[in-house]
Amino acid sequence: MKVGFIGLGRMGKGMAERILAAGHDLAVYDVIPQATAEFRSAGARIASSVAEVCRDREVVITMLAEDAAVHDVALGPAGMCASLPAGAIHMASGTYGIATIRALEAAHQKANQVLIAVPVLGRPDLAAAGQLGIIPAGPDAALKRCEPLFKAISRRVFYAGTKPESASAIKLANNAVLGCAIIAQGEGFSLVRKYGVEPQVLYDVMTEGLFAGAPAYVGYGKTMVDETYDRVGSPITIGIKDANLIAAAANIARVPMPSHDVYIERLLGSIAHGEGDLDQAALAREQARASGLD
Amino acid sequence: MRVGFIGLGRMGQAMAGRILGGGHDLVVYNRTAAKAADLAKAGAQLASSIAGACEGREIVITMVTDDAALKQVILSAGGIRESLAAGAIHLTMGTHSVAEIQRLAAVHAESKQILVAAPVLGRPDLAAAGQVGIVAAGPPQAVEKCGPLFQVMGRRTFNAGPKPEHAAVTKLANNFMLGCAIGAMAEGFALVRKYGVVPQVFYEVMTESLFAAPAYKVYGKIMVDEACDMVGFTTLLGLKDFGLIMAAAELARVPLPSGNAFRDRLLSAVAHGNGEKDWAVVANEQARASGLE
Repeated sequence: MKVGFIGLGRMGKGMAERILAAGHDLAVYDVIPQATAEFRSAGARIASSVAEVCRDREVVITMLAEDAAVHDVALGPAGMCASLPAGAIHMASGTYGIATIRALEAAHQKANQVLIAVPVLGRPDLAAAGQLGIIPAGPDAALKRCEPLFKAISRRVFYAGTKPESASAIKLANNAVLGCAIIAQGEGFSLVRKYGVEPQVLYDVMTEGLFAGAPAYVGYGKTMVDETYDRVGSPITIGIKDANLIAAAANIARVPMPSHDVYIERLLGSIAHGEGDLDQAALAREQARASGLD
Repeated sequence: MRVGFIGLGRMGQAMAGRILGGGHDLVVYNRTAAKAADLAKAGAQLASSIAGACEGREIVITMVTDDAALKQVILSAGGIRESLAAGAIHLTMGTHSVAEIQRLAAVHAESKQILVAAPVLGRPDLAAAGQVGIVAAGPPQAVEKCGPLFQVMGRRTFNAGPKPEHAAVTKLANNFMLGCAIGAMAEGFALVRKYGVVPQVFYEVMTESLFAAPAYKVYGKIMVDEACDMVGFTTLLGLKDFGLIMAAAELARVPLPSGNAFRDRLLSAVAHGNGEKDWAVVANEQARASGLE
């Protein structure tokens, strides 16, 4: 397959390598030229612009961190809409807001191109190993054409439906449940700590019972017990970015999400206390502060 | 060991059966005597009063539904306080409020008895199989003395500390996180449903990645199947637990905003006549609030 790839950050790099390794004809582009260096020796074509990476491609994948970035790359001058051949597919793989996905979908349709949304589940190490979970949504024929790419990058495919925004909704809802799980743990740990219970005991009770096997508890709970908030997986600043997308999606669809609202308030409190660069588990510290513990 | 057991509901019967099976000398008492019949057949002695269940016992276990029942069996005339020997242990295994456990620990101490709190984690089927989790707290020597009983009743004992209330608050915090998980899932399902997503897809995304745990698998499935009539734990019991949780939080000055949000959903579910349904029914409440029903 003739594939283009835009956005070679930590996640994008791993995914692009998998696609190349699966034998596809790959062109890559990143605003930071150094990011493409090692792809040259691996046999990929290095493009120097969005327009160039789109040329002759059947599918172009974007893995960009923010809505504004994918918006520019797709809709800007000499962007994907202007450059992709008719009938080609834009596979948007980041976590984007509903409004952005709708705007991209409409613009590509107008240009006789197809948008599919394929947000991913997993960290860079899983991306490099081709072990991501992926959530594709879009027109059936386009999803079918992309199956070889799904196979190259993922261990598990969750088909979400024919509308790209369905995939965004699922990814955002999953993040919402995670945020709520993080702050619920923060509240639980504050409660027991105020009675003099060792946090490790609550951690053991949780993770050997109702929450056994769930990384959302086994991982974040451990960070709270050890207070190792400097070892950052997903920082609070990324949390607030996603939480804002979730709140916007909830607003568009008219869904009150009171637990998630609480999560947003704790994120803001943490940032207000200068802790935005810490891991999201540090929301437990914000909760502790609110409880008079710190 | 010479053990007494008071409170033979579904959990209590199963736990007492394990103790008997472990070869201990067991006396049982229940207000409704019929519930003791199976245990008597299996070799337990029947007491006709609380005093009878305390006489000559090293440890008396209570497994009663709420704080009021616990106070009754301890403080009433002929209750455990009057009947249990000095130096003997009252092992209370229900889910009770932190404040009540603190008060009752003091009451027992005045009578030279020892209170150990050891609430259990798990349903009656696990209790019958000796597979519940036990969160134990109290004076270390007393907790240690209860060890052989924990061994026959549970798969794992978590030692929560030297004060009985440590166990109470740890159990409540665990229930708290379960409630919050249910409330958060309900919000997630409402969001995806409003975008036309099939709920099963979201269920799979959750439970095959970040949330591959019983809490999400069990309650998420009930929400997908809308099977809240098959009751594991009722909304009213959930509301009772969250009452205990919020009281413990107020006592210790810990704001629990997620807990407040969930408690409000429970209240709405009860207000709409769903108090006796499984507490996963908060998903219906969330759906209603989202204009989905």
